[in-house]
Amino acid sequence: MSTLSAVNRALATRRGRLLLENLTAYLFLAPAGLLILLFGIFPVAFAFFVSLHRWRRFPDQYVGLANYEKALGNLAYILFFWLALIAFVAAFLMGKRLLKALRRSNSARRFASLLAGLACAYASLLAIDWFFKLVPVIMLIPRQVRRQNTTLALFMEKLGDSFTSPEVWAAGNALLGGMIVAGMALSLVAWRFRYAHSGQVIAFSAITTLLVGAGAFLLQLTAVETEAAIAAARASGESLPIWSQLVFISAGIALIAGAWQVFRRGIGSYDNRRFFLLIVGGLMLAVGGYLIMAEAPAALAAADDDLLAGFWITIMYAMGTVPVQLSIGLLLAYLLFQPIRFRAFFRMVYFIPYITPFVATSIVFRIIFDAGRHAPANRMLSIVGLEPQRWILERSTIGDLLGLPDFLAGPSLALIVIMIYSTWTYIGYDAVIFLAGLGNIPGELYEAARIDGAGGWRVFRHITLPLLSPTVFFLSLVAIIGTFQAFTQIWILRTGAVGNRVNTASVYIFDELQNSNRYGYASSMAFVLFALILLMTLFQNRVMGRRVFYG
Amino acid sequence: MASDARARLPSFKDKQPPEGPRKGLSLSRIGIYAVLFAGVLIAIGPFLWMISASFMTISEVNLTRLLPEKLLWENYATALRRANFFDIEIATDPQTGVLQSLQVSGYIWNSVRITLITVLGSLTVCIPAAYAFARMKFVGRDFLFALFLSTMMIPGIVMLIPHLLTVIWLGRLSESLFGPAGAWFNNWPALTIPFFASVFNIFLLRQFFIQIPLDLWEAARIDGAGHPRFLISVVLPLSKAPIMTIVTLGFIGSWNALMWPLLVTINDEWRPIAVGLSNFVTADTPGDLNLQMAASVITVIPILILYFVAQKQFTEGIAQTGIRG
Repeated sequence: MSTLSAVNRALATRRGRLLLENLTAYLFLAPAGLLILLFGIFPVAFAFFVSLHRWRRFPDQYVGLANYEKALGNLAYILFFWLALIAFVAAFLMGKRLLKALRRSNSARRFASLLAGLACAYASLLAIDWFFKLVPVIMLIPRQVRRQNTTLALFMEKLGDSFTSPEVWAAGNALLGGMIVAGMALSLVAWRFRYAHSGQVIAFSAITTLLVGAGAFLLQLTAVETEAAIAAARASGESLPIWSQLVFISAGIALIAGAWQVFRRGIGSYDNRRFFLLIVGGLMLAVGGYLIMAEAPAALAAADDDLLAGFWITIMYAMGTVPVQLSIGLLLAYLLFQPIRFRAFFRMVYFIPYITPFVATSIVFRIIFDAGRHAPANRMLSIVGLEPQRWILERSTIGDLLGLPDFLAGPSLALIVIMIYSTWTYIGYDAVIFLAGLGNIPGELYEAARIDGAGGWRVFRHITLPLLSPTVFFLSLVAIIGTFQAFTQIWILRTGAVGNRVNTASVYIFDELQNSNRYGYASSMAFVLFALILLMTLFQNRVMGRRVFYG
Repeated sequence: MASDARARLPSFKDKQPPEGPRKGLSLSRIGIYAVLFAGVLIAIGPFLWMISASFMTISEVNLTRLLPEKLLWENYATALRRANFFDIEIATDPQTGVLQSLQVSGYIWNSVRITLITVLGSLTVCIPAAYAFARMKFVGRDFLFALFLSTMMIPGIVMLIPHLLTVIWLGRLSESLFGPAGAWFNNWPALTIPFFASVFNIFLLRQFFIQIPLDLWEAARIDGAGHPRFLISVVLPLSKAPIMTIVTLGFIGSWNALMWPLLVTINDEWRPIAVGLSNFVTADTPGDLNLQMAASVITVIPILILYFVAQKQFTEGIAQTGIRG
């Protein structure tokens, strides 16, 4: 009884209430946090781990970058080199923020915070190390108990074994030590050396250290793997020019990035200087482009052709769907925004294709674009007087069908049908978002423009479009990421007759996973796709983000 | 004070264009309506034909007639049976006629079960989390929120393999705890639990909760209510609109799910309807198109009914946050 009242009294103080609020909040967050950790954060690290192994349903041996090499050829090593560089650049930027935070105070306390941050980073590294020694052992348990009568006792015994296996045990002890040190450092800061910026200093120093660690790990991985690959090639009497490719392609990328900077400066300055800068930029672009063009084929020589084809198909798919669906969506939204009746009805109807199951609607499209003479699409053609086509069953490209030269081949007719289908499903979604964006444009602007005597098109061009640019930006970003992940539409509409002519990268990856059970290889390809999506997002943010006008 | 606060409550209200509907018709307005109605035709044309074809004979479908000569209602009965969409077995005692057992099975039943579990689970997990992010102060709040949001950026295909391995492993663990009924693989947990903690739902709810006036919380606290009480008896009743959005989205998501269920199910015991329809169509190719159409209509109808009921909250919720499935 007395302890209860003591607890009550402790909770009534300000500190006690804060503690209670913190505890309640964590309790509220616990289920979601646990699930997101399990199904949102851990999988990324784990997928990377899997991608470094030969892994068919169950973990096999560590193979380093072999999976990536199989997917991308020598370009894999270059990719990892650049990833390491990116980690270092991020560490540099974070380090700058750390220095800024350190400069805000000149007390000795900041060094205590700095040390605490380093201790935290070290403990996190130890935790990662322990975790990835533990996970593969734990993952083996289902296989070990497969043919036995799985009881809790057996399972717990195996689980205990995996924690006490020598490697895991050592790493676990190291982690425990690291955590104790970090905890002591943190509580010391909290007790004795706390000041206004200690939180920032701790966080920034920890993140900087972790980024440096990640960069060093990636760099070391790249170096070791590259040397191993070269040595293996030399043993079989060939030479593997990875280093020269790495240097040339990196130089090419650096030159192109530099050219972009030079162009930006050039456009901003005047006369002679501008002319000079534009020439220099053009030269850099040309040389960089030449370097990449010259080296890329050799670097990609050993790459997986199906994956490369998948990327190419994905790009065609994105180029064919995104602009069309965005412009039609914008047109519909703009018309809906005019003073008309039945707006709610139109909006509701346009949205229907987006919410209905792909499986159901794709069947109708399969009939519309059937190869038969009576299929609606072929009937339309015959009305215009054209030959019927095989549509969804056609693996030849439109370039072939029109008799164009090879480099104008373009997508296969089957892929075009899928593009039409995909566009049809997403137009309503785009229109609804555009409509919301239009609603956010203040009405006074239109009125002002009307008073100034601007007509419909000019109002649209000079008021609606600039003010809608954040929406356009958002939608194009989402749409392009969406096409790079597109799976269901293609998987459902593809037929045996067209083979791999419609397989985008993600469909190919899924096939490798589902039919071939190559977990390691599929993971590595998924990561390449992830890197590509991230790169595109960054690029779009920088290039398009500048043109976006936020009211 | 309460009514005053209510007036400032957040809402998913539509922003209206500068002018209201105008009467009378000019040439340009006829043009606008023409384009909009063409859009309507393109958007729902395939559905209308789907419905029409589901009543046709096979030869009528093959000739792509627009309308059937006679409405063949039996197509639906046949499709339900052939596609294994719904089956009910009632066993009664032969002497007394008392109900002994009731066995419901089929893809529709599976999808209903999966959807219910997913939506309920998602609400119980996401509502407290969103509330904590919106209305409580705790150490590391912004960091955790940013971390949660950043997981939305990761493409699904990257997560597929680790999810699969995690589910297999957790399944083994729970099987050894609860016996065969606790299996994850080819059972409901694999199909539902990974979708409970939807970052999108948390984000949507948080955006709504954060707009609820502070006065209400002050009043509740003076009345002696803590956070849990406030959440249940004040916040939740006010949040019908976003909850409805989440329910609709969750329903559509799990009703349409295809890729993940394909990976984690091996037989029809828990397979949802999208997989069922896909199997029916592939097994049937290029067979009875009229039955395929009937099966498609059956698949689409629940979604459409829910959409018509909740479409206002739904489209506006989407417009506010811009999710893409």
